[in-house]
Amino acid sequence: MVSNDVVIAVKGLNKWYADFQALKEIDLDVMKGEQIVICGPSGSGKSTLIRCINRLESFQEGSIRVEGVADQNDLLTLRRTVGMVFQQFNLFPHLTVLRNCTLALTRARGLEKAAAEDVALSLLDRVRIREQALKYPGQLSGGQQQRVAIARALCMSPKAMLFDEPTSSLDPEMIKEVLDVMADLASDGMTMICVTHEMGFARRVADRVIFMDQGRIVEAAKPDIFFEAPRNARTRAFLHQIL
Amino acid sequence: MAFDLPFLLQILKAIFQAMPLTLAIALVSCAGAFLLGFAFEILRRVNRPLGLLMRLIIDFIRSTPLLVQIYFFYYVLPYYGVVLPGVVVGGMALSIYYSGYLAEVFKAGIDTIPAGQSEAALALGLAPMDVTFRVIAPQMLRNIAAPMGNYFVSILKSTPYLAVIGVAEMMGMTLEIASSTFRYAEPMLLLGIVFFILAATMAWCVRRLEVRLMQSSKR
Repeated sequence: MVSNDVVIAVKGLNKWYADFQALKEIDLDVMKGEQIVICGPSGSGKSTLIRCINRLESFQEGSIRVEGVADQNDLLTLRRTVGMVFQQFNLFPHLTVLRNCTLALTRARGLEKAAAEDVALSLLDRVRIREQALKYPGQLSGGQQQRVAIARALCMSPKAMLFDEPTSSLDPEMIKEVLDVMADLASDGMTMICVTHEMGFARRVADRVIFMDQGRIVEAAKPDIFFEAPRNARTRAFLHQIL
Repeated sequence: MAFDLPFLLQILKAIFQAMPLTLAIALVSCAGAFLLGFAFEILRRVNRPLGLLMRLIIDFIRSTPLLVQIYFFYYVLPYYGVVLPGVVVGGMALSIYYSGYLAEVFKAGIDTIPAGQSEAALALGLAPMDVTFRVIAPQMLRNIAAPMGNYFVSILKSTPYLAVIGVAEMMGMTLEIASSTFRYAEPMLLLGIVFFILAATMAWCVRRLEVRLMQSSKR
């Protein structure tokens, strides 16, 4: 499934918050159809890294190229090419589930309402929540809200998806429904970068698992190697703690 | 204060004659203060220098008395060749004065919206205008319906100030009767009652609006 086309190319990325260096010399190529899981202790820069990719965070040094976006300074095109799912879902509470999904289609893509609703409903169907289309986010469970958030991002037909700890604020019984949707997406060949501590998911779905610590990529390996024979002592200590 | 029905009716007639103009000024000033205040607040968020400038303007507007602003616009603008009728100057002064307060209300309403809301909207590739008007503004309105409504009521209750520049609103008309008859008690009492009824009605409308906004998102 993984091809040789690079979808996201991160080179020599350095980022500071005032004096604190959050990212140090990050190099990362994400191939088309590849699924990458990033893990690491809190404060290690995992979320910052993926937030740099769609420029929710700025950075001082290095470059990030997203394939298919001619001008990397064209933020609107860049963000329409890369979908993002957040830890806190961030659905728009004043809009119905359906309108959450169609907003960007009508306003950013310029689709007619009916066409946008067709797209949205088919993606809500894909995350198995179509029957809730006319409800407001506040009426849904956390797991349902997160699935809507995934559908909302998919509506823009992104070339890659970024997941920022998508299950970290969910009750345990709802984690599975979200991970299942993500695994489906992965098996359909969606390029994705997922920051998560769900190691079962990483083992099952990821092509590459990356471990970050103190702003650096410390280890990057296929899941079987990553979990069975991590080379770095810090990776071993981290895995020992969470597994 | 003997009961004098013809006198009371004379006062009421004057008040009701002035009511349409009073309500019109209040309504236009509410809209003006709303738009201006929202513009101030949005500009305040654009960047730091502009933010500081807006901060200064808003603080200045809020820290000077309404009466001073009314006189200022009425007597200073003609110096620069801008001669406007009292009604227009009055509406302008009320709009500007209350825009400062509404900007602060808008600020509080926006500050309570989680940062994730605009991040999610930006991440979808929505343009800044759409983020502001489709995602942030509606949630802000829901947060501030009550305090904003209170200021709208205040605007209505501030229309009497315009009597000083000769606007024929309810206070000015009532005052005319009072000063020509030297009887102040009845006119002011009646005017107070009329204002009370109008303000209570407005407050009730605001409360209804608030309930509706709350219901529409059930969060």
